[in-house]
Amino acid sequence: MTAATQKTVPSKSKKKRKGKFEPRIVAFCCNWCSYAGADLAGTSRMQMPPNARIIRINCTGRIDPLFILDALYQGADGVLISGCHPGDCHYTSGNLKMRGRFVLLKKLLEDAGIDPERIHLQWASAAEGDVFTKGVTAMVERIKKIGPNPLRKGD
Amino acid sequence: MAKRIALTQLSSCWGCDQSLIDLHLRLLDVLPELEIVYWPAVVDYKLHDLENLPDNSIHIGLVEGSCRTKEDMHLLEIMRAKSKILVAWGSCSVFGGVQGLANQWDLKELLERKYMKAETVTDPRIPKENLSGFTEHIVPNPELVEVDVLLPGCPPTSDNTLDALTALLTNKPFDLPAKTVCDQCPMEREEKNIKQFKRTHEGKIEPGKCILDQGYLCLGFATIGLCGAQCPTVNTPCKGCFGPPPAVTDHGAKIISALGAVADMDPEELQNAFPDPIGSFYFTDYASSYLSKMRGKNRGKKK
Repeated sequence: MTAATQKTVPSKSKKKRKGKFEPRIVAFCCNWCSYAGADLAGTSRMQMPPNARIIRINCTGRIDPLFILDALYQGADGVLISGCHPGDCHYTSGNLKMRGRFVLLKKLLEDAGIDPERIHLQWASAAEGDVFTKGVTAMVERIKKIGPNPLRKGD
Repeated sequence: MAKRIALTQLSSCWGCDQSLIDLHLRLLDVLPELEIVYWPAVVDYKLHDLENLPDNSIHIGLVEGSCRTKEDMHLLEIMRAKSKILVAWGSCSVFGGVQGLANQWDLKELLERKYMKAETVTDPRIPKENLSGFTEHIVPNPELVEVDVLLPGCPPTSDNTLDALTALLTNKPFDLPAKTVCDQCPMEREEKNIKQFKRTHEGKIEPGKCILDQGYLCLGFATIGLCGAQCPTVNTPCKGCFGPPPAVTDHGAKIISALGAVADMDPEELQNAFPDPIGSFYFTDYASSYLSKMRGKNRGKKK
């Protein structure tokens, strides 16, 4: 790639972004509840903003806080974690472990000067397509208020 | 032939030198193998002596401390140019050290706190004369220049440094172990199910039993096993000063991950148990954490 093209590509995308900020959200969904809930929302044609990129994981307990930090470091505007309701975990307590990690991580982000609202934890069961839809909508609105991640790279 | 060796101190407490000298009589086994060409802590060479050496003329260069001043950056770059094998010696050099915790604030705030608002200051002014200037934030040395060998520790034990030097002198590789402090710890462990976290001054630590099991934040599980579990062996919780094992990229993230699994507490209680998570989880390696890097990148963008 020549120096000239390298320069023009990001500035173009910057112009595009100036018009309207569309957050990029990484959504970790557990296989047993929220991923099925997201699927239900899709098959029932519920409307939600298309900003979330869903990553399926077996259980929210599998999420290393490192994944969340890495996503933010790579420029994600927000990270949504969606799992089974407390007590409903397919593996009995994975979601409760995530809840403990989540509160500590949130405090860590706050102390480091990063808006803790960029990460969010929600519960949505396989039957709750509407809850999942609402969660994603609320997340997108929240991130739009906070603004883009300063580390965000060109589109 | 004796190998030429240089030891340099950047911003640090010089504790690594102290630890090396603690070898006492065993130093006699190593010293005949070495020709010291630069070591300000012990030998009277000046900076220009180091600068005048030809490039790649030092066999082993050990760099201790991190770059808080521009002078440190200069020294580090010279050491890289003059050394064939550059060793990042100690946690400051490998991860940024305790001073890396300052990356939570901007340089301006730090200078004001230290030189203008400190309680004992009578003549508040930020010193400018005869100084090389400060770096904006601490960046671990391996991210600034290419480093050949990493030896973390605060300080690395005398034996760690001896082992590393012996390996390098005999042309053997020196790799960091994948094990943790827990693997070296003699305490008896049980199924972990922590109901409450205590500070070290609260209650008494029962000897012989895992300190984490007793509700004290002992970071042995996420810390590289190089020290021989010195602290837990004498009933003191591990502070994680040696940093994480090589496979772990973020010390604090690993600690949080493990705490989430072993703590049987309400989320709010858990959050309140650690009033200063950055200080508790990233004692010597905040500068190499994702959080600090994010802020560092933002700083670059603001300019």
